[in-house]
Amino acid sequence: MDPKVTEVSQLFERFKAAFIRNDFDTCSKLLSQLKVLLTEFRSLPPLFEETPNAVHELTLARDIYEHAVVLSVKIEDQDAFERDFFQLKPYYTDARGCLPPSPQEYPILGLNLLRLLVQNRIAEFHTELELLSASAMENNCIKHAVELEQSFMEGAYNRVLSARQTVPHETYVYFMDLLAKTVRDEIAGCSEKAYDSLSINDARKILLFSSDKELFEYVKEEHPEWEIKNGFVIFQKAKESAPCKEIPSLQLINQTLSYARELERIV
Amino acid sequence: MTQDVEMKEQPAPSNSVTSVGPSTLQHLKEIASLIETGAYAREVRRIVRVVRLTIALRKKLKASVLSAFLNYALVSGSEVHSRLSSYLPKEDEQDMEVDTATSTTQAPVKHPLPELEIYCYLLVLIFLIDQKRYNEAKACSSASIARLKNLNRRTIDVLAARLYFYYSLSYELTGDLAEIRGNLLSLHRIATLRHDELGQETLLNLLLRNYLHYNLFDQAEKLRSKAPRFEAHSNQQFCRYLFYLGKIRTIQLEYTDAKESLLQAARKAPAAALGFRVQCNKWAVIVRLLLGEIPERTVFMQKGMEKALRPYFELTNAVRIGDLELFKAVAEKFSGTFSSDGTHNLIVRLRHNVIRTGLRNISISYSRISLADVAKKLRLDSPNPIADAESIVAKAIRDGAIDATLDHAKGWMVSKETGDIYSTNEPQIAFNSRIAFCLNMHNEAVRALRFPPNSHKEKESAEKRRERQQQEQELAKHIAEEDDDEF
Repeated sequence: MDPKVTEVSQLFERFKAAFIRNDFDTCSKLLSQLKVLLTEFRSLPPLFEETPNAVHELTLARDIYEHAVVLSVKIEDQDAFERDFFQLKPYYTDARGCLPPSPQEYPILGLNLLRLLVQNRIAEFHTELELLSASAMENNCIKHAVELEQSFMEGAYNRVLSARQTVPHETYVYFMDLLAKTVRDEIAGCSEKAYDSLSINDARKILLFSSDKELFEYVKEEHPEWEIKNGFVIFQKAKESAPCKEIPSLQLINQTLSYARELERIV
Repeated sequence: MTQDVEMKEQPAPSNSVTSVGPSTLQHLKEIASLIETGAYAREVRRIVRVVRLTIALRKKLKASVLSAFLNYALVSGSEVHSRLSSYLPKEDEQDMEVDTATSTTQAPVKHPLPELEIYCYLLVLIFLIDQKRYNEAKACSSASIARLKNLNRRTIDVLAARLYFYYSLSYELTGDLAEIRGNLLSLHRIATLRHDELGQETLLNLLLRNYLHYNLFDQAEKLRSKAPRFEAHSNQQFCRYLFYLGKIRTIQLEYTDAKESLLQAARKAPAAALGFRVQCNKWAVIVRLLLGEIPERTVFMQKGMEKALRPYFELTNAVRIGDLELFKAVAEKFSGTFSSDGTHNLIVRLRHNVIRTGLRNISISYSRISLADVAKKLRLDSPNPIADAESIVAKAIRDGAIDATLDHAKGWMVSKETGDIYSTNEPQIAFNSRIAFCLNMHNEAVRALRFPPNSHKEKESAEKRRERQQQEQELAKHIAEEDDDEF
């Protein structure tokens, strides 16, 4: 076998060992070494040269990047996740023809969907979704993310939260926790508009806090404009869109002038 | 050598040809001479006319006519000639010989122009595609593209743009669109460097089509936003561009812009392009639904589209009523159509709109309603419908879909009185957007008008003309003097 491949394989074994020990510092160090070594393989994207052991090298590289993505979730680094995922993606799309499918593919794609959801990048979420085949949509991991997005858009927040119990993969928990935070902010935003006031008890339940103290702290930090009085949380209603008394004169003048100009051009 | 042989054949009788043959052939010959004059005079307009005339002839193309034309236009025995002839079927050998004879009655062209050569490629390619011989079409188009890369003449650009189109089409028909992506990109680059705007336009569309074929919306958008833009040269290409743009924007949730592009594409498309207009309408309907609008019934009743738009009509109906069950039933009933249209994921997104519409209807009808009833009316099937209903209503209130408040302790929703809309700026804004639309439409129409060249000069009075000529002469003299100075 090619000495380079052997070297990478050995290093990768050490990485996996460290990975199982949850020794993430060593993992990160080994990973950066691995990535440098991978650049020497000419069969990998973007070159895709057909070297004799291309399949072997591609599989190895894909394996390494899959681990890199999972590692980035474990060390809770979203930027690293994005970087590693984009490096991994060509192995799923462009190298599909020459590699056996990876069992990790759908969990990782689902994870990425979840990340986009957490970061509120809905447009990219849908762009990614379009790339998936009908059979992929049936997969549990993908379906989970898709259903979450739907519940999220509808506003059925308790469904989003209960989905945490049914995560298809342990790595999903990190993002689900982040999502819970996003959901809380959303609920707070909605409640502010929808209710005049809530009893502290109800507010705590709606905003998913386990104790009143947490609620008070949250209100103090995030929504200082809310008032807590006589066991009620009173929301200061945002100024209603009062009937317009003032005429937006400047805008009107501009519009009228532009009509005049256009009409002149026609006549 | 070959010239000599043809010369000898010249006096051969030419009246034994079939009735269709000569007329089509005659047309082709006329086109060829048009190309020649166009090429020598460097008049791109003539070449544009050639393309139009060719499309009219398309149905009449036959192997015998084509090979006769090839013999006429190209030097027989040359590389191009033998290559193109090899694509044509050989079975009607008899006819061919006769036609060869007719062709040689004309004086053969000694040095075929590159324009003529490319035109022959185009003809053969169209013929092969019409005969459904896609693999040969692929080979033929690839050869033509290889040839095109070495030619840099403005008069070829128009023909080249057509060739690019058929090149991509032949690969699409055999399902190998991904193969030519790199090639198209390099062609686009070449076209950009040569300032071939029509070529750029065509190639950009082909690339977008290529990406969208594989649902690569991200790549398509990146290319689109970075490719140079200029005033459209061809209406058809512009329509296509708008359609692809609309699709990309729909996927990326920019519904307002998407709607504009799709509707414009549908309006601008020629009446004959029914399939294209149907596609535009399908997407436009969904985008409008996603925006919370309900398309008018007339949209679905357009001539020739009723059947194709039927699933979308029923879908619209479900959204309009705000009935989740009906919506699910429709989505399931036509799931085949929707997934072949590539709109399945969009329809999944619509669920949210169905709920919104239902909620709006409830909010209008009831001044106060319990959340349990809301859940029942919306037919939310979940383990905890009341909590779901509460948060859904809360979100709808925040997004401004309904104007109401919630009472958590009593578990009901209170709708607010709708204010007088005429006391706000709303009517003014709506009015403004309509005026802007009309003015824009007028301007576009004016811009789209075609004027014959020099028409403005004819109006010029004799006096003015004299004045101008005098000025020109002076200028010429001036330049000549300057030239003299240099020596």
